[in-house]
Amino acid sequence: MMRRTAFILLVSALTLAACTSSGTAPRDPGKVVLPVKQVSVPGRLYATKGRTLFRFSGTHLARLLVGTRLKDPAVTRDGAQLAFAQLHDESSTIAVSDASGRTPQSITAASGPEGALWAFAPRYSDDGRQIVYLTDRGKPRSSPQNLQPNDLAVWTYDVGRATSRRVVAPIRYTGGDSDPGFRPGVSDQLLYTTYLYGGTPPQAVARLTWTSTRTGVSVYLSPDVARNFQPAFSPDGRFVAFIRAGSGSDDLYVMPLPPTFTRESRPYPADGAVLLQSGIVSQPVWAPDGTAVAFLKLVNGSFDLFILPIATDGVIRATGAAQAVTHGSFLDADSRLAWSP
Amino acid sequence: MNHSGATGVPHATGLRRAHWLALGGVLLLLALVGSALLYLSPVLALLDSRGPVAGKPGAAVAATPPPLDSKQRINILLLGSDNDQKFPQDALLSQTMIVVSIDPAKHEVTLLSLPRDLWVEIPGHKSAKIDLAYAQGGAPLARATVEKAFKIPIHYYAWIGLNGLVRVVDRVGGVDVDVLHPVLDDNYPNDFSSTGYGTERVYLSAGPQHLDGRHTLQYVRSRHGDLLSDLGRSIRQQQVLLAIQQRTAGMDLVTALPAFARDLNGHLKTDLDLVRLTQLALFMRGLHAGDVHQAFLTPYVHDAVSSDGQQVLLADWAAIHRYLRQLFGADLLS
Repeated sequence: MMRRTAFILLVSALTLAACTSSGTAPRDPGKVVLPVKQVSVPGRLYATKGRTLFRFSGTHLARLLVGTRLKDPAVTRDGAQLAFAQLHDESSTIAVSDASGRTPQSITAASGPEGALWAFAPRYSDDGRQIVYLTDRGKPRSSPQNLQPNDLAVWTYDVGRATSRRVVAPIRYTGGDSDPGFRPGVSDQLLYTTYLYGGTPPQAVARLTWTSTRTGVSVYLSPDVARNFQPAFSPDGRFVAFIRAGSGSDDLYVMPLPPTFTRESRPYPADGAVLLQSGIVSQPVWAPDGTAVAFLKLVNGSFDLFILPIATDGVIRATGAAQAVTHGSFLDADSRLAWSP
Repeated sequence: MNHSGATGVPHATGLRRAHWLALGGVLLLLALVGSALLYLSPVLALLDSRGPVAGKPGAAVAATPPPLDSKQRINILLLGSDNDQKFPQDALLSQTMIVVSIDPAKHEVTLLSLPRDLWVEIPGHKSAKIDLAYAQGGAPLARATVEKAFKIPIHYYAWIGLNGLVRVVDRVGGVDVDVLHPVLDDNYPNDFSSTGYGTERVYLSAGPQHLDGRHTLQYVRSRHGDLLSDLGRSIRQQQVLLAIQQRTAGMDLVTALPAFARDLNGHLKTDLDLVRLTQLALFMRGLHAGDVHQAFLTPYVHDAVSSDGQQVLLADWAAIHRYLRQLFGADLLS
């Protein structure tokens, strides 16, 4: 019996030894790692790792707002002001600061009559006078005995008046909307992701939604029974980069958007989008001059920062290969990127 | 010339050398076995702690399962339970029931989620939600219930508790998941609080991201804020299973297996032995994304209220069995 046990153990150990791969699963190094061949980042590109804010500029890396846990950095067009979601234990607020992260100041409350509140994903308008963001403010009070919907809605904050208002009501029990952003050049158009369910049997759907805040009308830019999300406007407002989930991948696409707000058209604008980057990609953001898109991509188990040069004159296309700004850094892929001159 | 000494000394030396060599070989073998035992002791301890609840009414008599390296289909019933201190440890419901069906001939795996609220006949008991079978008779009764209702032969089972999933995910360094929609839950059960009661607020944004064990558990467990309710949860559970499989595909199993075993001690029960566990791990390592198929019974069930007033799911069994024949071919029980 002992001999048999020993034999099985030995065979097992040897089988394991013979059939194992060379490495272990990739691990978070706990810091931002730059590749040996560094990429010079034009302007200032913001990303987070471990809920800490990092700024990439040229080949220089700076850590900002040390001691503050945050996600979803945003920056004004001139790069002078930052906004971000400051994370607390079980709530979050939108805070603003100067470009160096000094003098941060909350502009939303961590709690209200409805209980603790979330606030995420701020984005400045082109003129810096408004901030669009997500919050569950205004939700009904909830308890384990009386569960109520607490989906995130799209709100705007008027910087001059220091007041907020809800501009889009989410579809209940979907988690709510995501990724809001103003269209550059105009102050009354928003783009965001609407989450809902579609198909038979029902499945999670994510649709790109274009809203006129002047009329309150919303149109879908992508079809039902698909997942298109994380839209990002080009600096001139003519193009939208976004992520489309396919079979086992999340690819980067770019599509043009009509110059004026129009009724929902067929085919959907997203149907004619151009694939620019395959893989598990997230959080696209345009360079301030519109000649590149930065994004996070999963490589060997780590989300890293990449820059893809693109052209939108004539045919939308990549003009080169994506270059890695970081390497094996496990950046926060659930946190937006921001890019200023 | 006396050659006796000249011939005798080398002979004795050769014999001594042979003895020493034999002894050395035995010692080396013992050292190897000892090292292997020491190295694999966490795995053996884990497997020693396995074992279904025996002797309960309705428990199935397990047939001899085909070996994992044959060409025959193998079905493993994967069970998951909330097992924090709020629940009686000898009567846990199985909130997760997934049949992992391995077809070695086609080098494919099918994940079939069974809805926890499905109203079924539980052998030796009254009809009830399928998640009650594990509470009433452990793995044998859960296995017998699945076999009776679905005609799927269950060759092995594996049960994992809340902390087990968290530890596995943390052990592999987290998993990469495309979160299907924002997850918000203001009343998520805080299982890891000192009392086991209480709630916490949970938020996970949508889209591709890296999740640690705790956030993975939140993703697979939260039902509030998901109109698909249990189906949504089943989809997320399968998504995480695939993410764990992808994460472990590149791992060094020699290093990892004892560590996994240490992590899972007390949080995993299975009737897979070491050899089969090894074969299974090696098979899973060789799978590609296209080799794994996901299956759900949603189109074949509908909401209803049971005679005792519970919200349940009733099945169109004829449609389910047609569907399972498509999935499993002739590998179903008669």
